[in-house]
Amino acid sequence: MNGSRWIFAVVAALSVAAGCSNDSTSAVAQPGTLSLRLTTPQADDGAMTFAVSGPAIDNATAVDVSLRLFTRQADGSTLVGAVVGALGNGVVVTLQVPDVGAAARYTARVVEVADRQNVLRASLAGYALTVAP
Amino acid sequence: MRFPIPALLLLLGAAPVLAQTPTGGSWREAVRRLRDAPRVQLAHGAAKSRVRPKGMPRAARRLTTAAVESAVAESEPNDNVATADSVALGDQATGVVNPAGDVDTWSVDLVAGQLFSVDVDAADAGSPLDATLALLAPDGRTLLSFNDDFDGFDSRISYFIPASGRYYVMIRAFGAAGAPELTYAINFGKVACPLVGAEQEPNGTPATASPAAIGDSVSGEICPTDDSPAGDVDYWAFMARAGTTVELDIDAAQLGLPVDPVIALYASDGTTQLAFNDDADGADSRLQYSIVTTGTYYATAADVAGFGNPFPYVLHIRPITPGPGDPITVRAQGLGHPLGIAVGSTGDLFVGEVTGNRVVRVSAQGVVTTFAPGIPAPLGLAFDSFGDLLVASVDGAVYRVTPQGQATRFITDAGIPFWIAVAPDGRIWLTDLSDRSLRRYSPTGQFEARFDAIAVGGSGPGPLAIGPSGEPYFSQGTEIWRLASGQLQRVLTDRFIIWGFAFDAAGNIYAPAPVAGRIQLFDATGTIAADTFAIGPDAPQAVAFGRDASGAPVARVFATESRIGQVIEVNPAGVAHVGLSVGYVPSFTVVAAAAGLLGASGLSAADQHYLDTVGNRNGRYDVGDLQAYIKMAEGLSGPRSDQ
Repeated sequence: MNGSRWIFAVVAALSVAAGCSNDSTSAVAQPGTLSLRLTTPQADDGAMTFAVSGPAIDNATAVDVSLRLFTRQADGSTLVGAVVGALGNGVVVTLQVPDVGAAARYTARVVEVADRQNVLRASLAGYALTVAP
Repeated sequence: MRFPIPALLLLLGAAPVLAQTPTGGSWREAVRRLRDAPRVQLAHGAAKSRVRPKGMPRAARRLTTAAVESAVAESEPNDNVATADSVALGDQATGVVNPAGDVDTWSVDLVAGQLFSVDVDAADAGSPLDATLALLAPDGRTLLSFNDDFDGFDSRISYFIPASGRYYVMIRAFGAAGAPELTYAINFGKVACPLVGAEQEPNGTPATASPAAIGDSVSGEICPTDDSPAGDVDYWAFMARAGTTVELDIDAAQLGLPVDPVIALYASDGTTQLAFNDDADGADSRLQYSIVTTGTYYATAADVAGFGNPFPYVLHIRPITPGPGDPITVRAQGLGHPLGIAVGSTGDLFVGEVTGNRVVRVSAQGVVTTFAPGIPAPLGLAFDSFGDLLVASVDGAVYRVTPQGQATRFITDAGIPFWIAVAPDGRIWLTDLSDRSLRRYSPTGQFEARFDAIAVGGSGPGPLAIGPSGEPYFSQGTEIWRLASGQLQRVLTDRFIIWGFAFDAAGNIYAPAPVAGRIQLFDATGTIAADTFAIGPDAPQAVAFGRDASGAPVARVFATESRIGQVIEVNPAGVAHVGLSVGYVPSFTVVAAAAGLLGASGLSAADQHYLDTVGNRNGRYDVGDLQAYIKMAEGLSGPRSDQ
């Protein structure tokens, strides 16, 4: 084997290795659940609408039976939802996703909040939604 | 405020007269009259009426007794039963009411079963005396009967004697006057009815009815006798062809007598009552009826009370032009004074029985079943936005009845809720007779506002309907008004009292006028479009548009006929438009409501307005409204979502 062939072989090997490395990343995607966690400054939230953007979401369920959840796929990357019930700080919705490793690629935001007397919150200051494993 | 029934009855009885209306009476009085009116079944006893031609001399209506047996002059003192002058049947007594405050008392021995008549001739003979008569029982204290003016200023009492004994008759001058010239003659006898004119006696049964023809004006006299103390009934037989509409019009009070005649129409079998009327024209009566089968029909004339002084009458049997809603069809009968009517989401009729104290369901096949028992005297009915039936009751509450027929008191803060309607936004409107107001409630029954309507005059707000613009319209008697932007506006004025009216989709108003025995039609501007749209068999009280099995309004009009206990339908061929959707019934599920909030199509502007109304009313549909709707839809009447 002359030098150029060795070089070719090394390059080819490296290329294969690199390809194998990429294939290795796809193969370890882990379907699972992510938690949609609410941070609220209020103690009497009764209903909320929200939007979650990012990779696909297979399903969404309320975290407990006391909450009613309604969702709709707004577009290819955004799920919108309404959750009704006694809301508080903590997980409110569980998201079924194809790859929990992509959690960081999801963003969520609060759209509307109403108190338990049906009155819409005038300000959403202090509210936050996060998506995390 | 809740009125106990005894207090309410007192209120009803004390209701003021509605002066400008043909028959008078406030809505309260009208309800009392409806409830108290007997299910009309005229007596079929032997009748012994005698003909008395219209325009007969007054003297001919004097005491119809046997010839005077003897003349008796008074002997003072005779001011009380202890000093009464004695007379016998057949006697004519004479006297003078003098001085002021004088009372002349006469005693007469009577036998049980006699139809006693005592008749004064004073003013009729030129005396200035305006007499009053009182009949006292044998105990000398119990007042059995009183009369002031019967034959002009002259008094008369006809009374069925229940027990043998000595009775007392007292004659006074009206206003306790007295003077030497206040002379009188007083005739004591039994009622007898001289045969006068062409009326053929006996005519107290269909088999013995006097003949007549459409177009005739026939005369007779209602005259109870010993043989018919329970009341006299005159039967008149006439032939009528299918498609003919006849009017029976009796004149008696118009002849100047303080009497109250009633009329009825019977089918060819002589026993099936087709129509009845009392007081269509003051105390006189009139009815109209569409003949659907050629045959012989029977008109009857009688006194409303079945007894009392004899009186003559003229009965007109006229052909009249039917309306586009004729002929009518009877959909249900045998009901206990049906008044309010509402149509359910599958087309069934729901009718409140004022005297049956229940709401019945009438199927498309005319089958009547009890839907909600135990609601005292149901008045106005309407379905709310959740499919529950709201029923205003004479007990002061509005009941809510679930589709399963479970009734609960729902609105209890109105004094006398009368009529009820549900607007497109689901809000509930009712008229309150206690203070002549309209009251508005949220779809869930929370009081929102009161609108004083005393200024509309008449009887104040009564029967109520929601117009095409979603505003409440109501009848105050002979006028329909609406409440628009908080302002009361007169929409139309009629000759007759308008009861429970309804709108079609074009805004035309179908207005029942029970005193006129018809349904009238007004266009959207309030102009009369058909003075006779349909002729009810008696007195159409409330109308409602039908719905098909899917709940969609259809061009069919139904009406209650309170006094004859029927529900009728007008000829659908004459109904030009479908009914205006009554109230607002959400057709979406909770899931659809949520989807709409999240951006899906499917909710109309009205739906979103409704959702905002049941929610936080901030002018747009938001998550607070969804929360409210879920609580309401699933928390009040059971799950309504298809989730």
